[in-house]
Amino acid sequence: MEGSSSARKGNLTGSARKLSDNAADWHNLTLKWERLNDEGSTVATKIVNLRLAKEPPKESDLMLEDGVSLDSGEKSRDNSSQELEEECYKLQDIVNKMDHIVSKMEKMVSSENGICELETFQYGVKGRPAPLFQTWSTPQFAEVSSKLCDSYKQELALKHTILQELAHTANADLSMVYLSAWLYQPYIDDKGKLLLESLLMETGHRPL
Amino acid sequence: MSNPALLSLHQLLKQSFRVVEQNHKVWKSVLLECSPLVSSLGNLGEQLRALKNVQVPQTPLGRFPDLQERLHYKLSIAVDTVMGKLGEKLDAFEAVRDAVSKQVSAAFQFYERNTGTLDIACCVNRSAVTPSLADMLEWLQDTDRYYRLQFLKRKNFLQTLKSDDLTLLETAPKRWESLSSPNAEEGISDMLFQVSFFMDSE
Repeated sequence: MEGSSSARKGNLTGSARKLSDNAADWHNLTLKWERLNDEGSTVATKIVNLRLAKEPPKESDLMLEDGVSLDSGEKSRDNSSQELEEECYKLQDIVNKMDHIVSKMEKMVSSENGICELETFQYGVKGRPAPLFQTWSTPQFAEVSSKLCDSYKQELALKHTILQELAHTANADLSMVYLSAWLYQPYIDDKGKLLLESLLMETGHRPL
Repeated sequence: MSNPALLSLHQLLKQSFRVVEQNHKVWKSVLLECSPLVSSLGNLGEQLRALKNVQVPQTPLGRFPDLQERLHYKLSIAVDTVMGKLGEKLDAFEAVRDAVSKQVSAAFQFYERNTGTLDIACCVNRSAVTPSLADMLEWLQDTDRYYRLQFLKRKNFLQTLKSDDLTLLETAPKRWESLSSPNAEEGISDMLFQVSFFMDSE
C-alpha cells in the first residue's frame, strides 16, 4: 500500500493531492484514536476500581480502637486518593489528545469545504467535469469527512462527560455503563468504518 | 505370542493411543483458549445488566441521543462476535471427538472380527510392558465416551446461550467451568502413562 500510494502521490497535484493526503490522515487519525481509546479504557477501569474500593463504609476502620491502625487506614485511603487523582490526570491527558485529533479532523473538513468552494468558483455550480479519482465528485469527499467528523465529535463529547463523572459516581452499575460506553464507542458505528474504507479505496490507498 | 491377530491389534492399539495423546493436547489447548472468551461473555453480560439497570436519561449521559440503544447494540454485537469465536472452538472439539472415535472404533471392530483367535486367556494376559487387551480396550472406550460427553456438554452450553438472556451470560464462566470433569481427564493422562512403555515397544 505504501509504495503504490507514494507513487501515486507523486503525480497528484492541487485538490487531488490535498484530498488524497486527507484520506491518509483520516486513516492515521482513526488508528491513533483507537489506540488512545484502548489506553483510556485501561485507565478508566482502574479509576472505577479505585473509586469503588473506596466506597463501602470502612467498618473495619470504625471498629478499630487503637489510633495507630486507624492512622494506617487513613494513610492507605490517602494513598488510594492520590492514585485515583493520578489516574484521573492520565485520563484527562488522553482526552486532551483526543481533543487534538478531533480538531485536526475539523480542519480537514473545513479544508475540503474550501476545495468545494474553489471548484464552484472554477467550474460553476456543476463542479468539475471529470472526477478527481474514480467516481466521487468533490463534494462527496467533503460530505464523508464531515459525517466522520460529526461522529467523532459526538464521541468526544461523550468521553468528556465520562471523564468528568467517572471518579464521582459511587453507583457500580452507572460506573459500568461509563466503562462500556468508553470502550464500545456507541457513536462510532460500522457506517463510519464503511465510509472511511470507501474513502481509502476511492483515493487509491486501498487496492481496488 | 506369534498370534498375527494379536500383533495387528497391538499395532492398532498403539496407533489409537498415539491419536489420543495428540488429540488430548489439542483438546487441552483449545479449552485453554476458550476461557478468556467465556469470561468475556460473563463480562459482557454484566455490562448489559448494568446498562439495563441504569436509567440513562436520568444520568449525566442523558443528553446523548440514543445512547442506551446504541450501546446495547454494540454490546450485543460484541456478544455475537465472542459466540462466533466459541463456535469455532466447538468445531475443534468436534474434530478431536471424531478423530478419537474413529480410532477407537477401528480397534474395537478389529477385535470383534477376531474374537475367534483372541480368547479370554489372550485378552487378560499382560506383561510388565504390555497391559492386557481387555484393559486397553476398556481405557479407550472410556476415553471415547469422555470426549463424546464433553463435546455434547460444551455444545449444549453454547446452544443455550442467548445474547438477550443476561442471567445465562453472566453465569457463563461458572457454568463453563463446571462442565469439566477433572477426574475423567486425569484418567486419560494416567492411561497414557500406563501405556507409554507399550507404545514405545516394538
